[in-house]
Amino acid sequence: MSWNLILTILSSAFSASIPVLLAGMGGLFTHHANVFNISLEGMLLVSAFTAVAGTMSTGSWVMGLVYGMLGSVFVSLLFAFFVLKIQMGEFITGIAINTLATGGTTYFMRQMFNVKGTLTSPDIVSIPKWDIPILRDIPVLSDILNGQPWLFYFAFLVVIPLVYIVLYKTRFGLRLRATGFEAKAADAVGIKSHSYRLIAILICGVLCGLGGSYLSIGYMRMFSENMSSGRGWIAIAIILLTKGQPLKIMMLALVFGFCEGLGMSLQGYEIPVQFTYMLPYVATIIALFLDSRKKKSVGNKKA
Amino acid sequence: MENNVVEMRDIVKIFPPDNVALKRVSLSIKKGEIHSIIGENGAGKSTLMKVLYGLEKANQGEIFLGGVHKQISTPKEAVDCGIGMVHQEFMLVGVYTVLENIVLGDEPCNALGMLKLDAARDKLKNILEQFHFDFPLDEQVQNLSVAAQQKIEIVKLLYRNVDILILDEPTAVLAPQEADELFKLLEQLKQAGKTILFISHKLDEVLRISDTITVMRRGERVWTKPNQGLDKIALSNAMVGRDVMLTVEKPETVPGDTVLEFDGVSVKSPLVPGKLDNDRVSFSVRAGEILGVAGVEGNGQYEMVQALIGALPICAGNIRLMGRDISKDAIRERRRQISYISQDRKRSGSSQTDTLTDNVTMTHHYVSGRLKGKLGLLSVRKMRKLCDEIIENYQVKCKNSSTRMMELSGGNQQKVIIGREIELGCRLLVADQPVRGLDVGSIEYIHKKIVEERNKGVAVLLVSADLDELFSLSDRIVVFHNGRLVAQRRPDETTREEIGEFMLGARSELND
Repeated sequence: MSWNLILTILSSAFSASIPVLLAGMGGLFTHHANVFNISLEGMLLVSAFTAVAGTMSTGSWVMGLVYGMLGSVFVSLLFAFFVLKIQMGEFITGIAINTLATGGTTYFMRQMFNVKGTLTSPDIVSIPKWDIPILRDIPVLSDILNGQPWLFYFAFLVVIPLVYIVLYKTRFGLRLRATGFEAKAADAVGIKSHSYRLIAILICGVLCGLGGSYLSIGYMRMFSENMSSGRGWIAIAIILLTKGQPLKIMMLALVFGFCEGLGMSLQGYEIPVQFTYMLPYVATIIALFLDSRKKKSVGNKKA
Repeated sequence: MENNVVEMRDIVKIFPPDNVALKRVSLSIKKGEIHSIIGENGAGKSTLMKVLYGLEKANQGEIFLGGVHKQISTPKEAVDCGIGMVHQEFMLVGVYTVLENIVLGDEPCNALGMLKLDAARDKLKNILEQFHFDFPLDEQVQNLSVAAQQKIEIVKLLYRNVDILILDEPTAVLAPQEADELFKLLEQLKQAGKTILFISHKLDEVLRISDTITVMRRGERVWTKPNQGLDKIALSNAMVGRDVMLTVEKPETVPGDTVLEFDGVSVKSPLVPGKLDNDRVSFSVRAGEILGVAGVEGNGQYEMVQALIGALPICAGNIRLMGRDISKDAIRERRRQISYISQDRKRSGSSQTDTLTDNVTMTHHYVSGRLKGKLGLLSVRKMRKLCDEIIENYQVKCKNSSTRMMELSGGNQQKVIIGREIELGCRLLVADQPVRGLDVGSIEYIHKKIVEERNKGVAVLLVSADLDELFSLSDRIVVFHNGRLVAQRRPDETTREEIGEFMLGARSELND
């Protein structure tokens, strides 16, 4: 494998990890609020679509991002309405939302843009890429990290630290986690656990909106049917594996991104595309398997 | 009037459709007193306190605090008015530290919402010093003892500048020595000007610590009297309106042959690797004898019962039932020979959402042929008949056999379970905390039934955290501490204090 190929893999690894990373950051809020939110997938997909639709109709990536977030927040409101207000099961609601997202985005894509499968257009404006002064002069790092969409840097340098601080260093985080661990204890000291659950779901919507937008107008410049292709589920698996710890989520999202980058780069070789596509998912299953083995050996069996 | 920090007037609380829990109850609490409220389960004492604490909304009536009319509709408002409550079930976040638990809901923060835990630490220091608390503020709560957790609940209230503390049966979870410590703390709080409302079933402790005692019965206040010249008989008469037999009448019997034998049984902890929840436990129970098992909760009694029933595997020794080793048998197989009253009435003892008939049928459906109908199916008619018999013979108060379990009071639920288990007719009866959380009337009845079984020659294994219960029922008492059996005594040869020392590990008679 040539040196250049390795750099390409690493570069696309970082970039490919962003949607999973952002969905994971959003999902960890619902995780800590003890809301079993499997609608991350739907949120990513809807926002990927609305972001593309947004840029195409306005010609601005800013509006694309805004539309992307609005789309996902709309989905999260839907989720919150059914789960918190009507008290329908989280699982059922999540499945319904994911199914609706797949069907809905496909339908609207065909209706609005008259295309099947994949929507590409010169009207799609992607998120601007940053050429960072000092970084561009550092040999290897420049190849891997420079020239990415600014949302890329925002995710690593702002979102992750902010999530970490909010979760562990603020009153909001303390209360949020308390409602997740022991809602009764939180309610007993006057914390309205219900509102915290709602806020967590909304934050999840916003972050998934960023992730979905990144997918369609950052990482790529197109929308295709079911383009989230399981990234929301991967994010859920990662959250469960790491018990919602932001830094560990970042690590695993990078591993996922690396496998995806590797898979894409290997397509040039004589390996069937289907197998290279499988790589990140196989990695996730292996991670889940290893984790459950670890738990068993500790003897975490319930009688 | 000015002396009364709390004045509740004509409080009425109706639980739909027609359950009148409080019938125009009025109550005055003087500042700086320890005021006990006693009564049977369902007498309304907890409901009354919940109204005061804002957990239940009264249908009628008024509350005055220091002479001022107040509307209290949430616990938060109650705390703001200086009223706090320690629930029976602790409201703590297990994975949070002591400090985090104390400040939760009332955290010192800067303008950005960033926590300033050190400010809280300083504020707490005074409280901790004043009342001689010594617990590590940075330890996770789940690693602390129940007694320590209870103190954290109290500190939580003090941190919020609460002046009136409501304690709902605080000693139910404590060993005698721990309870003594709690009483000392309550005395200190009283000296510091706090007012304490103490809800309890236990007449001894009420008489010991109260300044004033209020007795409630069936949603009404019977009387409120200063604690002078009162005794247990007077209190229990007022509580139930008839004389309660406080010591169970128990004729002498000569125990028969050995029914159950534990021989060096060890049980591995399912949670902590390398730890033994039961460590070489040996004892035996003979026919016509009640063996009482004492111990602070979490010292292996529960695991011993689970191992006996077959819910936990044993890793050494063996369990013999009537001479036969049953250690390898499945739960279902063992239950043919063991009547079992589990400590968790609501989860493992019954199915709350099913009817009484279904609940009564459980276990009977395979143990005996008495419910068999045509084609090997269960006969619904016979199931109903069995249920009706139990309702009749065990004085279960309910509408009929189709009532759902959860509609019954705790005492009546337990009667259904005990009826079902006794009707199995096994030679061994395992009763794990059979009367926990029940009212005096039900306790008395259940105790009578257990003694009746013993008199009929059944071997009884009685696990309890309540020494009064163990002393009045048992023929022998064994004590668990740290997974080991540390002592064995006859109740007439020992005292509660001695057993208490064994329970806390201050003494031990292990010989290995």
